[in-house]
Amino acid sequence: MRPLFVLLSPTVISWRNELRAGGRARRLRRLALIGLGIGFWIGTYWTIRRVLLYFQTVHDLGAALAYQLLLIILLTFLSMLLFSNLITSLSTYFLARDLELVRSTPAPAASFFYARLITTTVNSSWMVLFFSFPIFAAYGAVFGGGGEFTLWVALVLPLFLVIPAALGALITHLLVYSLPAKRIRDILFFVGLFAFVMLYFLFRFSQPERLVQPETFGHFLDFLSAMETPSSPYLPSTWSAEIFASVLFDKPTDRWFFFALITSYAFFLPLAASWVSAAVYLSGWSKAQEARQGRRPSNLLDRILHWATHPFPPTAKAIMLKDIKTFLRDTTQWSQLFLLLALVVVYVYNFKVLPLDRSPIPTETLRTVISFTNVALAGFVLSAVAIRFAFPGVSLEGSAFWILQSSPISLKSLLWSKFWLNLVPLLVLGELLVFFTNLLLRVPLWMMGLSLVTIFLMTFGITAIGVGIGALYPKFNYDHVAEIPTSFGGAVCMIFSVAFIGATVMIEAWPVYVLAMQGLSFGTVTGAGWILAPSLAGVAVLTVIAVVLPIKLGLKRLEEICE
Amino acid sequence: MIRLENLTKHFGKLAAVESLSLEVEPGEVFGFLGPNGAGKTTTIRVMMGILKPTSGRASLGGYDVAREPEKAKAITGFIPDRPFIYEKLSGTEFLKFVGSLHQIDSPLLERRMADLLEHFELSEWKDELVEGYSHGMKQRLVHCASLLHEPKILVVDEPMVGIDPKGTRQLKDLFLSLAKGGTTVFLSTHSIGVAEEICQRVGIINRGKLIAVGTMAELYRMARINGGGLESAFLELTRDKEPGAPDTKEP
Ligand SMILES: Nc1ncnc2c1ncn2[C@@H]1O[C@H](COP(=O)(O)OP(=O)(O)OP(=O)(O)O)[C@@H](O)[C@H]1O
Ligand SMILES: [Mg+2]
Repeated sequence: MRPLFVLLSPTVISWRNELRAGGRARRLRRLALIGLGIGFWIGTYWTIRRVLLYFQTVHDLGAALAYQLLLIILLTFLSMLLFSNLITSLSTYFLARDLELVRSTPAPAASFFYARLITTTVNSSWMVLFFSFPIFAAYGAVFGGGGEFTLWVALVLPLFLVIPAALGALITHLLVYSLPAKRIRDILFFVGLFAFVMLYFLFRFSQPERLVQPETFGHFLDFLSAMETPSSPYLPSTWSAEIFASVLFDKPTDRWFFFALITSYAFFLPLAASWVSAAVYLSGWSKAQEARQGRRPSNLLDRILHWATHPFPPTAKAIMLKDIKTFLRDTTQWSQLFLLLALVVVYVYNFKVLPLDRSPIPTETLRTVISFTNVALAGFVLSAVAIRFAFPGVSLEGSAFWILQSSPISLKSLLWSKFWLNLVPLLVLGELLVFFTNLLLRVPLWMMGLSLVTIFLMTFGITAIGVGIGALYPKFNYDHVAEIPTSFGGAVCMIFSVAFIGATVMIEAWPVYVLAMQGLSFGTVTGAGWILAPSLAGVAVLTVIAVVLPIKLGLKRLEEICE
Repeated sequence: MIRLENLTKHFGKLAAVESLSLEVEPGEVFGFLGPNGAGKTTTIRVMMGILKPTSGRASLGGYDVAREPEKAKAITGFIPDRPFIYEKLSGTEFLKFVGSLHQIDSPLLERRMADLLEHFELSEWKDELVEGYSHGMKQRLVHCASLLHEPKILVVDEPMVGIDPKGTRQLKDLFLSLAKGGTTVFLSTHSIGVAEEICQRVGIINRGKLIAVGTMAELYRMARINGGGLESAFLELTRDKEPGAPDTKEP
C-alpha cells in the first residue's frame, strides 16, 4: 500500500503547490473561473430541468422520455470516458516523461500499475464529473429523488468511472504490446478505427429505427414499452440508468442486480488489467521507446501546399506550412479525424431516421424546429472538432515554442495564422453538415438560408474561441497530442463555446418561433427577412465579440509568457 | 559487479548495440566512450532494465535485470542523460519521493538528504520549486537523488553536461571517493579528459560494437600510438575503416 501512495505523491504535491502559488492576479483569475463554472452549472441545470418538466407535460410519456434521455447522456459519457481513458493511459503508462525515473527505482510493478490507473481515472473523468453534476441535480429535483437518489449517485458513479478507465488501460496495454514498434505512435489511428467499429455496432444493436417504423408498434402501449426498454443491455451506462430509473421513476427493475453487476465489473476489470499489465508492460514500454521513425517527405504535396497558402503574408505562410506538414506527418494528429468521421456519420444518420411523419404536430413546423435545433447541434459538433484541432494549436508548438519566440514574428500573426488555418476546414465541415441534414429534413427555404448563415458566423466564433483559449491555457509539456484537449483549458474552452452557441441560438429563437408558427397557419411565409434581420445583426455582433475577445486574451497570455 | 553478456539491441533494422560483453569490478570507475550515436545511452538503458534487450543478459550486483529487476534496481543509482524532474515539486519533496521509492526510512532519509544537499550546495534552494532551478542546479538535484540510497553501483550517462568547472571538479572527486568506498561507477562520457583522469578502465564503443576495453596503457598499445594521449587513441580506434559503410542514423 505504501509504495502506491508514494507513487501518487508527486501528482498530489504538484497540485497542492500549484494551488498555493500565485499572486493576486492568479487568484482573481481562479475566482473568475469558479464563477464561470458555477454559471455553467446553473445554466445546464436550468436547461435540463426545463426539458424534463416539458417531458412531463407529454401525457404518459414523461418518465419514459426522461429515461431515454438519461440513457443517451450516460452512453455519451461512457464513450467519452472510454476514449479519454485510452488516450490518457497511453500517456500515463507509456509516454509520460517521469517513466524513466520511476522505472529505474525498485518500486513494485503492481503499485506502479494501480498508481497510474488512479491517475488515469482522475485525469480523464473529472470533466465528465463536472458536466454530470447539474444533470443529476436536475433529475433529482424534477423527480423528487431526494437523499436516496444522491446516495445512489454517489455509490454508482465511481463504479461507472472505474470501468472505462480499467478497460482503457487494458486495451492500451494490449494494443501497445501487439502493434509493431513503428506503429505505436499511430495508436490513435487504431483507437479511432476501433471506436468507429464500436460505434457502428452499438448503433446497429440499438436499432433506433425500431422506434420509427410504425408498423412494428400495433399500439401506443407497445411504443411506450419500447421507449422504456434499454437498447443496449450490455453496457454499464444502461446498468447505471436502470438503477437510477428504479430510484427516480419507480421503474420495476431489480436495482440490486444491476448494482451487483456494475460492482463486480468495477472490481474485476482493474484486476484483469493489472494481470495483463504484469505480463506485457515491459515489452510494451520497451517497444514504445523505439517508436521513432524516419520518412521522406513528398515533393508534390509541398508544391500543392505552397500554392494553397500563397495568398498569406510570408510569416503566416511559413507557420501554416509547418503546421499543415506536421499535421499530415504526425499520425497522432490526423488520426483524430477518424473520431470526427464517426461523429459525423452517427449525427447525419440520426437525422435520416427521425420519425417526423408520425408526429401529431404539423410536419412543417416540426421540421423547422428540428432544423433550428440542428444548427445548435452542428455548432456543438464543430466545437467538439475545434477543441480537438484548433485548441491544441498553440500548445503544439510545445518545446519548440522558443523558436517562434526568438524569431522576428509577432505573436499576433502566429495566432491569426492558426485561426485561418482552422477556420477553413471547420467552415466547410459546418456548412456541409447543416446543408445535408437540412436536405434530409426537407426544411423550408428561409430556414435553409438562416441555418447556413448562422453556422457560417458561428464557425468564426468557435474557431477563435478554440485558438484563443488554447493560447490562454497552453500546455507545452504534453506527452500525447490528444491529451491537450482534456486539460483544464479544454474544459474552459468547451464552456465558452457552449455559452456562445447558446447565446446565438437564444437570439434567433424568437423570430424562428414566430416564423414557424406562421408556417403552421399560412403554409408559406412572406417577409421572413424583416423578422430575421435584427436578430441576425445581433448574432453578427456577438460573433465579432467571440472572435476578438478570445484572441486578445490568448495574445495577452502569450506575451506574459515571454516576459 | 556489472556484467553484460552478448547484449544486443535492435531498433527495427538498426543494430544500436551488438553482442556487447563487458564486466566491471567492484570499486572500479569504468569509462564508456564513443562518438555520438554509438550506442552508449542504449546500452545503459538496457542495463537499467528500462529497455528490453533484443538478446543477451545484463546483471547488476549478481541480480539479473530482466528476472529480478527490483533487487537489481535497489542497489543501483542512475543518472540519465536527459533527467526528468517534476517541475512543480520542491527539491526536498522530489528527494523524499525518490527516497520513498527506495524505501529508505525517514530519519535516515532526512539525514542523507541534508548531507547530500549540503554537498551539492543546494541547501538554500531546497524548498524552492524545481521549475525555478537553473539547468546545472537541476542536474545536481538529480545527482543527489541517485545517491540517496547509498547505491553499490552508480550508472551515469553524460554527467558533466551543463555543470560549471567547480562542479565538474567536485563531481570527479565524488566519483573517485565513491569508488574508494567500494561503489562501482559506470560512466558514459564524451570527455576524454574526464575519462583519462578518473577511470581505471575504459571501453570504447562505436556503431554498437565494443571495439576496445582496457586500461589507458592497454588502449594506447591497441591503437599503436606512442604519445598523444587517449584522444589520439580514441580517434584512431573509432576512425571509419570502411568508407562505404552505411552511416549510423541520427534520430
Ligand atoms: N528510441 C530509439 N528508436 C530508434 N532508434 C534509436 C532510439 N534510440 C537510439 N536509437 C539509435 O540507436 C543508435 C545509438 O543511440 P544512442 O542514444 O545509444 O547513442 P549514444 O552513444 O548515447 O550517443 P550520444 O553520444 O549522442 O548520446 C543511434 O543510431 C540512434 O539513432
Ligand atoms: Mg547518449
